[in-house]
Amino acid sequence: MKYPLVLMFILGSLAVWGQDDLLAELDALSPTQSKSFVFATFKGTRIINQQSVELPAEKEGQFVIGHRFGSLNDRPLYNLFGLDVANIRFEYSYSPFPWLNLGAGRSSGAKTYDTFTKVRLVRQSSGTGFNWPVTIAYYTNATIVTTPFSDGQKHFFTDRMAYSHQLLIARKWNETVSFQIAPTLVHFNLVPFAAEANDQWGLSIAGRYKLNRRMALTGETLLRHDPFSRYHNAASVGIDIETGGHVFQFHVTNARSMADPQWMMQTPSVWSKGEIYLGFNITRVFNH
Amino acid sequence: MKKSILPFLFLAISLHLSAQKLVSQNTYVHFFSETPIEDIEASLNDGVGIVNAETKDFAFQVNIQSFTFDKALMQEHFNENYMESTAYPKAFYKGKITGEVSWSKPGSYAVQMVGKMTIHGKEQSFTTPAKISISKEGLVVLESNFIVRPEEFDIEIPSLVITKIAKEIEVKVKSTLRAS
Repeated sequence: MKYPLVLMFILGSLAVWGQDDLLAELDALSPTQSKSFVFATFKGTRIINQQSVELPAEKEGQFVIGHRFGSLNDRPLYNLFGLDVANIRFEYSYSPFPWLNLGAGRSSGAKTYDTFTKVRLVRQSSGTGFNWPVTIAYYTNATIVTTPFSDGQKHFFTDRMAYSHQLLIARKWNETVSFQIAPTLVHFNLVPFAAEANDQWGLSIAGRYKLNRRMALTGETLLRHDPFSRYHNAASVGIDIETGGHVFQFHVTNARSMADPQWMMQTPSVWSKGEIYLGFNITRVFNH
Repeated sequence: MKKSILPFLFLAISLHLSAQKLVSQNTYVHFFSETPIEDIEASLNDGVGIVNAETKDFAFQVNIQSFTFDKALMQEHFNENYMESTAYPKAFYKGKITGEVSWSKPGSYAVQMVGKMTIHGKEQSFTTPAKISISKEGLVVLESNFIVRPEEFDIEIPSLVITKIAKEIEVKVKSTLRAS
């Protein structure tokens, strides 16, 4: 007789104790968040000239206007730090799926038209099960230069074309710091000298450091392997400013061309001689 | 022999009381920010909640990253710039329901929810009226509309977008609760 009574009290008190912290019980009810994917590794789909692993969202279009002004060391006061002249790029891209972005652009300078594709392959995540430590995307771009040839030779139309391929591998270390490396291959149908390779290899290294919720410092460089003579590695530093629907990216760079093969492998300017350019990208997203 | 039935009766009662917990795993939460320039809204329907019918204690919890917006960019900004959902992944509301509710009697009861709300890692005392409807089948639906002011939860809105985000965000909650 006594034992069941004791048992009853124990059970009763257990039940009461169990009701004490409802919040703790909620965790058990909460949908087991199997995976959470990292978002906003970079603010823009470009870091500066370099594409980032970010894609515009599904069913969204993105318009980008890029400017690169004149050289800072070319009579800076007379030319107002190069602002009197500008290279300009327009670009529009659309994401039919969350993992696919298709676009086309036109850059002044060598009057270059291009089409590009970016495919997100895997996403960095955290949670239960297997998690990728990095986000990986494949980016490819085909360009056509439309300025006339000046060497007096007969040329095929295909001589105007070049193709870039990059495997973008990025990791968001924390809310502040993100890094990206990208093995790069650019195939030129026509190279400056016969002895030079049509396939140009390189490694792009880029990073972002967030200053606050709306601003970030960015930097990027592309290290070339067995490069064309006369040209230099592109290196740029910049600042991202986000204002809701727009992203403004201001930067200083020695790469004045914005078309991919040109800034990657054919940058004629060097930082050490002051051959650097102010520039900006403005990104605007459209919901179709 | 007869006496030994008594403790079991108590046992049964106490077990019954502990089962007086109503739970929801698909609580709907919708918020709406209205300004002349832009309307912003988002919703989720995987909020969880528990109401203890006996003590009338309640607790609700939502995952911030579950809020879905029409525009993906808005959702990213919401998580990254305003709610900082990586650092503060959840919002809570817990407290006590005051007012008469007969859980076994179908009807509609106007009550107050008195407690503390935690958003963006900041806890604030929060009281809101709510309606509890109990159907003949014993289904309990709790509904509440209230206003949340971002500044009270240390959610900074920069001057650049101050015209696009309302100072008062209208929140609607609808939670269908079942005995656990």
